[in-house]
Amino acid sequence: MTGQRLASVSTVCLVIVLASMSSRSLAGRAASAASQTTSAATATKWIPPRTPWGHPDLQGTWDNHSITPLERPARFAGREFLTREEAIELEKAALRQNAEIDSREGAGTAADVGTAYNEFWWDRPTNVVETLRTSLIIDPPDGKVPPLVPGARNRQGETELAHRPLRATGAFEAGRGADTWTDRSLWERCITQGLPRISSAAYNSNIEIVQSRGYVVINYEMIHESRLVPLDGRPHLDQNIRQYQGDSRGRWDGDTLVVDTTNFSDKTNFRGATSGLHMIERLTRLGPDALRYQVTFEDPTTWTRPWTAENVWRTSRGRIYEYECHEGNYGLAGILAGAREEEKAKK
Amino acid sequence: MRRRHGGLIFLATSIAVLAVVVARSSAPVAGQAPTTYKAPRGADGRPNLSGIWQAVNTANWNIEGHAAEAAPYSNLVGVYLAEPAGMSVVADGRLPYKPEALAKKKQNFETRLKSDPFNRDLGDPEAKCFMPGVPRATYMPFPFQIIQSTNKVLISYEYASTTRIIHMDKVPPAPIDSWMGQSTGRWEGDTLVVDVTGLNGKSWLDRAGNYLSASAHVVERYTPTSPDHLAYEATIDDPTVFTRPWKMSMPLYRRLDKNGQLLEFKCVEFSEDYIYGALRRK
Repeated sequence: MTGQRLASVSTVCLVIVLASMSSRSLAGRAASAASQTTSAATATKWIPPRTPWGHPDLQGTWDNHSITPLERPARFAGREFLTREEAIELEKAALRQNAEIDSREGAGTAADVGTAYNEFWWDRPTNVVETLRTSLIIDPPDGKVPPLVPGARNRQGETELAHRPLRATGAFEAGRGADTWTDRSLWERCITQGLPRISSAAYNSNIEIVQSRGYVVINYEMIHESRLVPLDGRPHLDQNIRQYQGDSRGRWDGDTLVVDTTNFSDKTNFRGATSGLHMIERLTRLGPDALRYQVTFEDPTTWTRPWTAENVWRTSRGRIYEYECHEGNYGLAGILAGAREEEKAKK
Repeated sequence: MRRRHGGLIFLATSIAVLAVVVARSSAPVAGQAPTTYKAPRGADGRPNLSGIWQAVNTANWNIEGHAAEAAPYSNLVGVYLAEPAGMSVVADGRLPYKPEALAKKKQNFETRLKSDPFNRDLGDPEAKCFMPGVPRATYMPFPFQIIQSTNKVLISYEYASTTRIIHMDKVPPAPIDSWMGQSTGRWEGDTLVVDVTGLNGKSWLDRAGNYLSASAHVVERYTPTSPDHLAYEATIDDPTVFTRPWKMSMPLYRRLDKNGQLLEFKCVEFSEDYIYGALRRK
């Protein structure tokens, strides 16, 4: 029975893998990738839809899946783009790696328990970014985060940075204490995933955009956080009001939504940036199923120059679900209770 | 409606105009929109409900009529957090509980400030920063914002960063129960009618322990009655808990603050000591 059930689960997984390959892998989107990378003119031929009130229509459910690293790997030094063959090789490697994570070898070991769920529940990316860039960073041209200004290095340790190169909050990394809940990361505590959201997490990487004449809402499935972006040119909030999601102001620049975000809290920390971080996002619809997402970071007390990353969001395969993160966060209670039990056992 | 009919019968000998005035002022009639007001239309020809709104009442303490009460732990906080008195927002004044459900409501109230990290069903979900559910989200003492598009209407609630989408287009039935349920909307004249299904039955209606079960079906009606007011009604059909469907109604007020915006109230961090305190290292 068990054998049969496992076999049918594998079949389901295989179907899912094939489905995701066909919708997002290179094989399934060769034409669009080629046109977007080889010719900017192709993208401008497509006429983006408008809302009834005349704004570019970015609405829909998107995902920001990508296996492309933030910084350019040494192997691609000096090259902005992958060849198609390299891209296919990287995507195949990602599929293989995901399958290995889910293998039953080592069941019951700490590493196995550390993966939390079996592969069915994960929504790991398996695709390179649509543009075939070798890094998500497009500026500076070397694809690397610019050097830190003197003193900035102390704000985030190398280990912490290695765990979360893309995010302002930690995740589930090992080595954190469990004396109290504040030893755990903001994300693990279901408070926020913070900003930016340059690329996918291991699940819930869906983003829904809803627009009205005066607002664009960017609604993230992960920890149900929505950013309400006013378009009326109002000034930023009082500097005393600091928020995890900062304070966003939007405007249309042709077909591009430009979102300017300041007023970050000092409780989040993106690659050592201060709460003085200034984030500028540019969202442009490239086609019926693709949206270009660019984000520029400015913090002269952290980096020697501004820098920009780019990803391409695709129409989501699924829908947005309500992620009751905190309500069901028995994991945090378990981590703390487990630590107390360990202390008792040591006495 | 029942109450209103009673008023009309009672005042049968009075002139009709007076009867209507009395009925309107004696019952919470926010739901009965004056027919005179015609809301301005958006680009799609629909009334535009976009804006920041807030209920100004005490329904979050108790949707039924209630006298003022001292705060829990008033020895520590004085008059801070004391409960203001308030009139019922329930159309018939009282909720039509089944006897066993009324007992559970009373038990909810007794245990409202209890918390257990391994039993999330114990105590008022509000105290733990859980999503407030529908309709409670509407009358939490926090603003909420309606962003009205054509196929989707998004409501963002300041409390606990809760968001819900009202699908004006066709969607399949709710795939799974959730705190805020699945909302589908339609227009009846100037009224946005929202059908809420797929509720998980964990939400309470107020701090008094009034509650819904997972069999609840909620129909909300949002009707503009002036540029700065919406009449809000929620009809609740929950045969597990109540003997018949019942209705609550209240006005919602537009927040007119200059450059007003929803701010973060990420209360999870305010709830952690309450939920996990016993698990801290001594």
